[in-house]
Amino acid sequence: MKSMASSPPDQLFGVRNSFYVGAYQAAITSSQSLPAHDLSPDDLLERDALLYRSYLAIGSHQLVVNEIGPSAATPLQAVKLLAVYLSGDAANKESVVSRLQDLLGDPAVGSNPILRLMAGTVFMHERDYAEALKHTNSSPAGTMELLALNVQIYLQMNRADHAEKQLRVMQQLDEDHTLTQLANAWVDLAMGGSKIQEAHLIFQDLSDKYPTTCMILNGKALCSIHMGNFEEAEALLLESLNKDAKDAETRANLMVCSLNLGKPATRYLK
Amino acid sequence: MLTKFETKSNRVKGLSFHPRRPWILASLHSGVIQMWDYRMGTLLDRFDEHDGPVRGVHFHATQPLFVSGGDDYKIKVWNYKTHRCLFTLHGHLDYIRTVQFHHEYPWIVSASDDQTIRIWNWQSRTCVAVLTGHNHYVMCASFHPKEDLVVSASLDQTVRVWDIGALRKKTVSPADDILRLTQMNTDLFGGIDAVVKYVLEGHDRGVNWASFHPSLPLIVSGADDRQVKLWRMNDTKAWEVDTLRGHMNNVSCVMFHAKQDIIVSNSEDKSIRIWDATKRTGIQTFRREHDRFWILAAHPEMNLLAAGHDSGMIVFKLERERPAFCVSGDTVFYVKDRFLRYFEYSTQKEVQVAPIRRPGSVSLNQSPRTLSYSPTENAVLICSDVDGGSYELYIVPKDSAGRSDYLQEAKKGAGGSAVFVARNRFAVLEKSSNQVLVKNLKNEIVKKSPLPIATDAIYYAGTGNLLCKAEDRVTIFDLQQRLVLGELFRPLLLNMLFWSSDMESVALLSKHAVVIANKKLVHRCTLHETIRVKSGAWDENGVFIYTTLNHMKYCLPNGDSGIIKTLDVPIYITRVIGNNIFCLDRDGKNKLVTVDASEYIFKLALLRKRYDHVMSMIKNSQLCGQAVISYLQQKGFPEVALHFVKDEKTRFNLALESGNIQIAVASAKEIDDKDHWYRLGIEALRQGNVGIVEYAYQRTKNFERLAFLYLITGYLDKVGFMCKIAGQNNNLMGQFHNALYLGDARKRAEILENAGQLPLAYVTAATHGLTETAERLAAELGENVPSLPEGKSHSLLMPPAPLMACGDWPLLRVMRGIFEGGLDATGRAELEEDAAAAGADWGDEDLDIVDASEVVANGGDGFDAEEVEPNEEDGEGGWDLEDLELPPETETPKGCQQCSLCCICCAYTRHACQPNLDSEIFSGWGACSSREL
Repeated sequence: MKSMASSPPDQLFGVRNSFYVGAYQAAITSSQSLPAHDLSPDDLLERDALLYRSYLAIGSHQLVVNEIGPSAATPLQAVKLLAVYLSGDAANKESVVSRLQDLLGDPAVGSNPILRLMAGTVFMHERDYAEALKHTNSSPAGTMELLALNVQIYLQMNRADHAEKQLRVMQQLDEDHTLTQLANAWVDLAMGGSKIQEAHLIFQDLSDKYPTTCMILNGKALCSIHMGNFEEAEALLLESLNKDAKDAETRANLMVCSLNLGKPATRYLK
Repeated sequence: MLTKFETKSNRVKGLSFHPRRPWILASLHSGVIQMWDYRMGTLLDRFDEHDGPVRGVHFHATQPLFVSGGDDYKIKVWNYKTHRCLFTLHGHLDYIRTVQFHHEYPWIVSASDDQTIRIWNWQSRTCVAVLTGHNHYVMCASFHPKEDLVVSASLDQTVRVWDIGALRKKTVSPADDILRLTQMNTDLFGGIDAVVKYVLEGHDRGVNWASFHPSLPLIVSGADDRQVKLWRMNDTKAWEVDTLRGHMNNVSCVMFHAKQDIIVSNSEDKSIRIWDATKRTGIQTFRREHDRFWILAAHPEMNLLAAGHDSGMIVFKLERERPAFCVSGDTVFYVKDRFLRYFEYSTQKEVQVAPIRRPGSVSLNQSPRTLSYSPTENAVLICSDVDGGSYELYIVPKDSAGRSDYLQEAKKGAGGSAVFVARNRFAVLEKSSNQVLVKNLKNEIVKKSPLPIATDAIYYAGTGNLLCKAEDRVTIFDLQQRLVLGELFRPLLLNMLFWSSDMESVALLSKHAVVIANKKLVHRCTLHETIRVKSGAWDENGVFIYTTLNHMKYCLPNGDSGIIKTLDVPIYITRVIGNNIFCLDRDGKNKLVTVDASEYIFKLALLRKRYDHVMSMIKNSQLCGQAVISYLQQKGFPEVALHFVKDEKTRFNLALESGNIQIAVASAKEIDDKDHWYRLGIEALRQGNVGIVEYAYQRTKNFERLAFLYLITGYLDKVGFMCKIAGQNNNLMGQFHNALYLGDARKRAEILENAGQLPLAYVTAATHGLTETAERLAAELGENVPSLPEGKSHSLLMPPAPLMACGDWPLLRVMRGIFEGGLDATGRAELEEDAAAAGADWGDEDLDIVDASEVVANGGDGFDAEEVEPNEEDGEGGWDLEDLELPPETETPKGCQQCSLCCICCAYTRHACQPNLDSEIFSGWGACSSREL
């Protein structure tokens, strides 16, 4: 929130939003082109975290592991842990979890929002929702990203009611925030029914505002699927597949579409 | 008050609007009458014949006339077309205060300080009635717009209404004997044609002005007692209704507004006041610093007023007339008569959506100024100047469309301007703190954002962005990032802006300029207008169409602009779909104007290098005219322009410019003058087209050049022929030259001998071993035989043999525009076939050679083809050779067999394809170019 309310122009705005809507490559380029001397140390740290998280999102796990040295700040260490977790095997994962627990237990750094965010992400991957929420939903009050993660966790737990409550909190903080909009759309999608229309409008707004990404296209396609427009959904998903042929979500959704349209779906399996 | 035009001059005492043209007459205290164009802001004419102040002036409703009356006791009737005073009416014995034409009869009514009102017939140029009764200066007199009444005001503190019914009857049937008798009586006893109907007493001081209501039986008067009085009359009596107090000094003029229920008065207290005619309360006051007001005038048709004061006059409107509208997708939302309505372009259907709130206070200019619409939420924001700037938010339920009874409580708020910035968010400008409040549809503030510049108004600039207008610049501001995305420093008083449908370009309209910029506000072009810019819209091709007061114009992306059509009344463009331009008029009616878009589509195609479009448009002869031709020439497309031109000289010039030698030859033939042939020769020589050079020289009988040309191209036999011609023309020098070229010593000697230069002839003969001739000449010379230099061997000077003999030189490649291929496609197809036939003989063929040799066939066949091809028309040969009687063998030299063959072939080609080219394409353009754009 601190950066949200500040009146000087938000330098990281573009990077952050690109990351949120899934334009990872754009996030990487723009974060690298930011003039470092204009940024406060906090901003610098956040920028690096966003940069490495973007790399993680496009699957460059090893790059992140290699680049973040042992002397890097805690938030970056947390990002590195996530990278290790995502790239590693079961044993590695276990060590990551225990290392995270150590860090979270440390009163000096335990409440760092990026650390909590990473921990929440890891525990979510572990399907240990209670543990995840313990860190993401604890005081001090979370950042927008933590709140958004809460929404996701609740949705994973099929607790749309709680997710909605979190959404209200976000809306009160900043209704026009990209994450609020996205969270709103996720909740709407989970609730279904007449809410789908609203989700559709949100994705429409996002695609008007930002360059279309796989995430937005998938969002739109999901709305179409919910509304029974499988042809439309398929077209959107094929557009997404054009952008990234390896995107798992796109392929999964395409299979749903194909099955519903009575088309062979196996070609998306490979 | 919206001032439209202002002048600086001497005191203005009289004013009159022209009923149709944008002209106004102002009569000055200095004795001058000025005629202004208030749209263009120019002084059209001045009439300076009165001696002393001119107080009254009036345009005739239909004729090109106006009347004026002044302190020289004269009434003058003028024709403004011929700038002449037609005649002067004498009769008044003191200053004339006002003059007015009757709307129907050939009458003028005048009021004078001699205490009379006179009615004149301006056709017979006589006074037809003298209205006596006032016992002080009569300050004004005017006809009723419909009935046979005159109203007058006088310093005797009364207003009088006169019945002139009898006068009208007499005019209608003047032959009536009895009436002629009354005419006599009139002359003797001073008038029964016009009688006083009512005398309105009530003012405590002299009355300066009185005027009728345009439709109701009402009179309004203004007097030196600083009051405005309202009077009502019926068939039998008239009485005072009310008094309007407020002016601080003498009321000089007062009138009812023709279209609104208001009274307008002005006064020597330097103010104009607007009154509600029903409630009889003051609505608004406009003050001037130093100038007392003297006169008011209203436009008979339009919503315009004018007022004259101590140092000039102003033309003004009380209220804005531009309907507030907002285009969204297939519909335009607008406000008309207190109703929110929309119009669907595809179905051309109008639907009344919802009534909107009436402003609580009675004041001017409270009608909606702007509209903003959010299609997904079906919400409309209406901004107006009510309470110093406020907005109302209406959310229209989808199913209520068409139901006019639907009424809802609008959500309101104060703010300079309000626009939607996202589906469910709108921004409201709070001028006091220079910040923007972002609100949701419940009218709750979601966010506050300070603005980077002192902003007067905000506009939509894409989702989440605002365009802020300040005094010296406009900026695009991202509300979420609080970042300035683009800035345009240009002191433009932005009135309106229009985004193209792809949101890539924006047109910023100010009073007298159109500025086109891109979405980052990078300036592209500026167009300046001398008159007001009214509205605009982007067409789907990226052309911006806009209207001024009297024109509809276009602006191409590169800033080229032009007029599409002239407008009678101002209209507001809402949308452009191809040739169809949808607009709203001042009454809020949707109109469809179909225009000829071909000119700007054509120019756009040229600009975008879409030559296929250009070509198809040319082929379909969709446009033409001098303007397009000079445009094409100016833009470097002479070869395209060529296809539009009919005038041969222009065609010739364009053809040379574009290197199209074929057309140049055709034109040169038509023009047939020396200069053009000469220029053709130069261009042909530049291109290496020997055949045409030859032809051009032949046509101008430029033998010297021709001979030299033959020499360097290796047509030696033709040089010999030239020699013969020179001999025939007694051109010894030419003959000698040619002999020299040929290296024919015998001939040279012969020429010299014939010329009487016997010694020279002898030397020539002796040197070149022509012993016989030398001996003969020596005998003739006798003792004057010149001595030849000793010890020097002689040699015959021979010009070197040309490398490329008998034929065209390698031709200069003329860049052929992409158009030409396509344009000539029909003609050229045949041409190529023939070329192929000819090519068999020629080996390596070039189209251009065929083109050229075709021309050789046209005229160059003077030597070759004529004899071989007896069908060739006479006179084509370019010069007369009939008397030469040369044996045919010499005409067709062996070395040039191929050449002549080709010429024959091409003669055929010409016959085959020329008519085709001519009749089909050229005549099409010809017919077209005669039509003026």
